[in-house]
Amino acid sequence: MSSLAGPPDPGIAEVSGTIRGGEARVRFTLRNAFPPEMVEALKSGIEITFKTTVEVERVYRRWFNRPMGQVQYTRSVRYDALSRVYRLHRDDGDELLEDVLAALDRMTRFEVVVPVTGDVEKGKPYRARVRARLDKVGLSEPLRSIFFFSSLWDVETDWARGYLQAP
Amino acid sequence: MTAPPVRQPTLDPAADAAKSRRERWAIGIVAVLVAILTFFEAHLAALGGAVTFSSNIVIFALINLNVVFVVLLIFLVTRNVFKILLDRRRNLLGAKLRSRLVLIFIGFSLIPTVLLFIAATNITTTSIKSWIGGRVGHALTGAIDIARERLEEEARILSPAAESAAAGLSGLVAPGSFPRVLDSSRKQAPAGTALLYFEKDAEVARDGDLPSTIRAEVLTRIKGVKGGGDGKGTLIGDQFAAAWRRTPGGVVVAVRPLPPAEAARIREIARAYDEYHQVRLLDDPIRANYVGILILITLLIVFAASWMGIYLARQITVPVQLLAEGTEEVARGNLDVSLDYRSSDEFGTLVASFNRMTADLKEMKGSLEETNASLTRTYDELRRRTQFIETILDSISTGVIVIDRHGRIAMINKVAERLLRIDTVGAVGRMYRDVLQEDHYEAIRDLYRETAGGQVERQVELVVGEKRIAFRVSLTSLRDDAGEHMGLVTTFDDLSQAMRLQRVLAWREVARRIAHDIRNPLTPIRLSTERMQRKYAAVHAEDPVFAECTHAILTEVDTLKHLVDEFTRFARMPVPRLEEGDLPGEIRPVVETYRTSHPGIRWEFLQEGPPRVWFDPFQIRRAVTNLLDNAAAALGEGGSVTVTCTHDKAAGKVRIGVADDGPGIPPGDRDRLFEPYFSRREGGTGLGLAIVSTIASDHGGTVRMRDNTPRGTVFEMEFPARPPSKEKTGVTDSGIDDGRRGS
Repeated sequence: MSSLAGPPDPGIAEVSGTIRGGEARVRFTLRNAFPPEMVEALKSGIEITFKTTVEVERVYRRWFNRPMGQVQYTRSVRYDALSRVYRLHRDDGDELLEDVLAALDRMTRFEVVVPVTGDVEKGKPYRARVRARLDKVGLSEPLRSIFFFSSLWDVETDWARGYLQAP
Repeated sequence: MTAPPVRQPTLDPAADAAKSRRERWAIGIVAVLVAILTFFEAHLAALGGAVTFSSNIVIFALINLNVVFVVLLIFLVTRNVFKILLDRRRNLLGAKLRSRLVLIFIGFSLIPTVLLFIAATNITTTSIKSWIGGRVGHALTGAIDIARERLEEEARILSPAAESAAAGLSGLVAPGSFPRVLDSSRKQAPAGTALLYFEKDAEVARDGDLPSTIRAEVLTRIKGVKGGGDGKGTLIGDQFAAAWRRTPGGVVVAVRPLPPAEAARIREIARAYDEYHQVRLLDDPIRANYVGILILITLLIVFAASWMGIYLARQITVPVQLLAEGTEEVARGNLDVSLDYRSSDEFGTLVASFNRMTADLKEMKGSLEETNASLTRTYDELRRRTQFIETILDSISTGVIVIDRHGRIAMINKVAERLLRIDTVGAVGRMYRDVLQEDHYEAIRDLYRETAGGQVERQVELVVGEKRIAFRVSLTSLRDDAGEHMGLVTTFDDLSQAMRLQRVLAWREVARRIAHDIRNPLTPIRLSTERMQRKYAAVHAEDPVFAECTHAILTEVDTLKHLVDEFTRFARMPVPRLEEGDLPGEIRPVVETYRTSHPGIRWEFLQEGPPRVWFDPFQIRRAVTNLLDNAAAALGEGGSVTVTCTHDKAAGKVRIGVADDGPGIPPGDRDRLFEPYFSRREGGTGLGLAIVSTIASDHGGTVRMRDNTPRGTVFEMEFPARPPSKEKTGVTDSGIDDGRRGS
């Protein structure tokens, strides 16, 4: 039986995107969030949910940054042993995938639309801050307390930042 | 080998306060430890990296609460166990019993609990292993496969309908003809089948009823498969089975919902399959969790049993200890002790009985003390009265013997001892018949017969030693208020001195009369005889008878005259005129006179420092002269006379002794020696010793005779160095004087 130790150094990478007229599109990649133990758990029917927080701010060099918008985005995946498909649930719609790699790819690559307030000025620096954490582990009811006592997959990344392209 | 002494635990309030302070410190330390443990627990994730903090605060709170309880329980139990061990080492009362009870409780709980723990752990581990590694896994896999095959079969059954619909729809452009094609194809499918047609991820036609959830599920599934494969396939879910066929413009799906019962069974199989795999995944944590729970339960049972043991032991030993301390206090005489212990069990009854007992003892002790104080006061009063009575009885000249109703001597004074020569030591309480001489006992018994319950007084002569002494004996029967006979009071008054004085007075009267009656005719007789000698001496010169007769008459007249003079002097004994003087100085010249007149006798005078005393010098010289005269007469021409003058400081008396080594005095004459006109000496008047006795009496003293050793006689004249009138009697300081003044 494999160890249930948490993933090593999960993090957010490749934060980028664009901002224009009322919204910002932020892309980023979740890395090291699915170690083999978690993949094994996923194949065992455990539902895994990640919640990401994306914030957009106007960056000032000599003043405090100005928050422009924030959104929380939830994405979960669960293997259906009967149908032999991975049920991917997103805030913007569900998806069924038969391949685990495809499912993991869907779970680690994000493109999130963040409504922003205020004017977007051309040539000014805008930045996105992203953080993700393992929100919950879907276990059957009798095993929840056991899982709690055994190993807590409380995966949480640090804030990752990336500049957005302004028009 | 002797057991160490059992020490009494102290219930000192100061010690209790110190103990409370120590407990507060201990609780504080435990609280800090709990805080440290909580902090450590909260930062396990940071320390280990693999273990992270959960957002489930409730579970963490429960964990911490359990930890706190366990730590507190461990602390309390450990503290009490150490306390019991310490008490046992100090050999405190009840510590052995308490430690034994706790040990028994721990032993009886620990052994089965540990066995139960081992058995439960093994059973749990074995059960989990057999469940996740055995046939269950195969069965569940088989079940899910069967369900899947069942659905796949159902989907394959739908394939002709989907194939027919796809063929019908191929080439059609007008959407209005879609329902007809679907309806035609649906008739080839089993009942309950629905046909759906999707174009561009949207349902454009449908034939047959289908729940919206299934429609949404089918749409999602179709989205995932639309791009691949050979243009046909099946879809299965826990609620439906479906077969799909691609058309040039879209996708046709034949869907048949499962009956609800069958769908529920399939869902149940799928859930069991998921749980099984999750359990396999969490094999070690599950076992660790169960073992941890069992350890926690075991610890709780053990510590709870220990705590219960301590509690029950305390329930037993505390009242026992209290009772022991209370008993010790009572043994020390402290009857104010009251044990503060309330319980409805037998110990409570015992303690309550103890408290009642001490209260009763205290009340009884108080009553006894009051009675004792009263008795003491009564005893002191009785003793004072007894001493007062004994003092009185010892002070009077009357001998007193009190005899109780049983014939035992209840009281006897020293005068009675001296008069009757009784050894009073041990006389009290003995039968008076055993104490008194036989004749004395007979005399008292005879008199008692005459009392007839009243009083009788007789003059009785009793033989005391070798002397017959006249006593006035008085017997008074004692009766209580009820008239019951209580005993007898016997008094003895020595009448010898009184009778002697009476005889002296009588003899003085006789002497005075004789002197008066004889002195008067003596002078005419003498004058007539001398006249006859002068007138007829010549006539009867040849006849010696005349001369002899007249001479004899004159001689006898002189003798009579001398006798009359002696009688006159005896009858006219003046009252002594006491003056303070040198007693030896008065005696020594008299002794010197006799040494001169009687050179054949060895005269010796010894003095032993008598102080200056009060006496009548003339009468003392006369008394000494009479004693020396008797001694010289007794010795004749040879012998020795020792005159002593001594002082008895203790008695406050001076003593003049005249001892000779002559023939002594016959016992028969001794009683009458001091009576007037008693003399065994030829030519003696018998007044010498009578005068000595009178002088001694007039000086407040006595004269007595005893045998000298080895032979001869000793006369001792004894009188106070200071007459009573010169003594500081202290009477004015006594209660008697106070009483007189008070009255």
